[in-house]
Amino acid sequence: MPAKVLRILVLIAIVVAAAGCGSPTAEVQEQTQPTQVEQASTSPVTLQVWAEANAVEHWRADGPAEAAKNVTDFKLTVEPLRDEAGWADYKKKFTLAADAGEAPDVVLSGHEDVSVWANAGYVVDFSTCRDKYPEFDDVIESLWTSVTWNGKIWGVPQDTEARPMFYNKTKLKELGWSDEEIAALPEKIKTGEFTLDDMIATAKEAVEKGVVQPGYGYWHRPTKGGDYLQYYAAYGGRLYDPEQDKLIVTRSAVVNWYAFQRKIVTEGITPENYIGTEFSIWHDTVSHGNVLFWNGGVWQWADWAANYVKDEGGQDYLFSFAGYALQPSGISGKPGVTLSHPLVYMITSEEASGDKDQDAACSLLAKTTTSEVNTKHAVESTHLGILTTQADDPNYSNDRLLSETLYMLDYNFYQPNHTMYGPYYDILFDNLVKAENGELTPEEAADAAIQLLQTELGDVLIVE
Amino acid sequence: MAVTSATTRASSKDGLIRKISSASTGFWFMSPSIILVVLFFFIPSVIIIGLSMTNLSTATGFRNYEWIGLENYQKIFTHPDTIPTALRTIFYVAATLAFFNVGLALVIALLTTHVPRRAGFIFRAIWLLPRITPSVIYLMMWKFTAAASPYGILNRYFPFLGGQNLIPDAPWVFVLLTNGFVGASFGMIIFASAIESIPKDYMNASLVDGCNAWQRIRYVILPALRWPLLFVTTYQTLSLLTSFEQIFILTDGQFGTEVWALWSYHRALSNYWGNFQWGFGAALAVVLVIIGALAAIVYMRFFRFNELVQEPGIDVL
Repeated sequence: MPAKVLRILVLIAIVVAAAGCGSPTAEVQEQTQPTQVEQASTSPVTLQVWAEANAVEHWRADGPAEAAKNVTDFKLTVEPLRDEAGWADYKKKFTLAADAGEAPDVVLSGHEDVSVWANAGYVVDFSTCRDKYPEFDDVIESLWTSVTWNGKIWGVPQDTEARPMFYNKTKLKELGWSDEEIAALPEKIKTGEFTLDDMIATAKEAVEKGVVQPGYGYWHRPTKGGDYLQYYAAYGGRLYDPEQDKLIVTRSAVVNWYAFQRKIVTEGITPENYIGTEFSIWHDTVSHGNVLFWNGGVWQWADWAANYVKDEGGQDYLFSFAGYALQPSGISGKPGVTLSHPLVYMITSEEASGDKDQDAACSLLAKTTTSEVNTKHAVESTHLGILTTQADDPNYSNDRLLSETLYMLDYNFYQPNHTMYGPYYDILFDNLVKAENGELTPEEAADAAIQLLQTELGDVLIVE
Repeated sequence: MAVTSATTRASSKDGLIRKISSASTGFWFMSPSIILVVLFFFIPSVIIIGLSMTNLSTATGFRNYEWIGLENYQKIFTHPDTIPTALRTIFYVAATLAFFNVGLALVIALLTTHVPRRAGFIFRAIWLLPRITPSVIYLMMWKFTAAASPYGILNRYFPFLGGQNLIPDAPWVFVLLTNGFVGASFGMIIFASAIESIPKDYMNASLVDGCNAWQRIRYVILPALRWPLLFVTTYQTLSLLTSFEQIFILTDGQFGTEVWALWSYHRALSNYWGNFQWGFGAALAVVLVIIGALAAIVYMRFFRFNELVQEPGIDVL
């Protein structure tokens, strides 16, 4: 048989595989824009909406269902699906569904998926939709940057947030800070007067004086996530050059960033072997005021209030001891920063969903992008709003946390919309872990990361 | 003379028919396995080889990918992570096999077949618990066993451990233990069954001959376990080469525990910010398939598989 039969079998299998995958084309597929508005508007349309969200973020999925009642140009029924599988599984599910033509009509995901999913032809250009409905004019202008790729807009923001450095006012007072000094901390961080080094020194003093337990001076996020890029940015690191559509790695910033990660351990303000700690342990510890400084996100406030300190008084308890400010800069005199990670609704293409209801989806998203619907999500889940008029909405402005952290959006930055950002981030994070655990020195870890980045990304990377 | 010649021809023809008939019967018996292997190993392998020669990723989708030949393989051979990951994988497979999936399995099987039958059965049933516990729950139990004080069980009762999360201190200890406790139960059942099926006459004869326990194990039991040993070693090697879910849940490959299969999974299906690189992940998987196939061949030669599957000598007589 053998050799000949084997060759034939291999050939058949390759042909079957190739047929199953479809034919490759060099060009990105032309995006489908809806054209049959009149026809669609006369017949009932059922739209599927997928959103990754925990229970307190349910409006991500339920918001469009609620908004469907206000849609007048289509007879809409919305089938919302709230998914709690976790982002990696959720995105995997969507991409596989899109390739099978089984994707929902509207999908919510992080803005970083815009470039990847647009390039793959899963989602359609949103520019036409944006121009069609006045509701979109209310979106905070800078947020459109997060959904822009290749000169086009590919979705509409659903929420955004700030990732403050929280601080324990009670512990600072025990350390000898006056009320005035504590109240002035956010401003000092905003102007670059209080830096990451000052934060380390304060936390170390708190440990030495027994105000907090050893290792409880500063807690960053315990698992992989975008938050760490705030330290990279704090030391002047750059991520992306939109003109060349290339990712950037700034070596000096990476070295300083990794050195910071190691220093917080060697100074005894963060525990040894901290990365990998269960998130539930982290939430429980910080929300009960056991840590002096910690880096989190505004949305976690609602989670802590509902799931960790409900019996102690929820948000009132948190306000009794927790303060919030920008993430301090690593460079004296440079303003603090915060990372925003807007989640965005995207309309899927006909190839991805098998439906021609993109016009109806556009209409639905217009009615979803209103203060009436979005403020419910913002307040319940403590996410920042996306609309200019929300600041005047009493339901929003009466929320103390949201109104007091809104200014942070003036100091925010986004992760880049680049198709290779996923591998780029993974490499930086993997080496961060090695630096923080002392497996490599900050310089060694930075060089290892840059070497891997060059191998993986090739000419889409700029090393500076 | 003519009669003899005719008889020889007839005999030769009968032999041929018998051989064809025998081969055909064997084929029909094997056909379910052949169909399964072709459907679930051969065809997927060919598809993955095809995928590995593309730049297919989330960013290209199934519509915009391009054939790139052996580029992904070139990338693997020049990748700084290739050799460290390969060495980690060899260590992971060899250590788990030696200490747990074969070693500990054999020890448990020997112990539980040398105690009262009911006690042995209960002991083996307890060892099955890790296998029947859902992986996520099983690994969460381990994570909280090793967690930092005051949450971790070990740190609670052994303060001299330092109070910190213990997994990064000894990641391989936890990886091997978590995998080994599950893996040992498989070999334990196979070996225990095989030991139970050794004719009692052999055992009694060895006692009469004055064998001590070690001699009985070495000269009676182990030779009878050659086939189960081949099966468990081969099966568990291939299984460990491609298994990663426990490492994934326990460390996610951090602290130097990223094995080859997990590397492939991360690149193909679990990138934190999206853009799964199916083409490159498939190339990594193909390397694993080749290594697995080679390992199987080596094992079969080492254990003289052909001798094991020869027709019993009784038929020749």
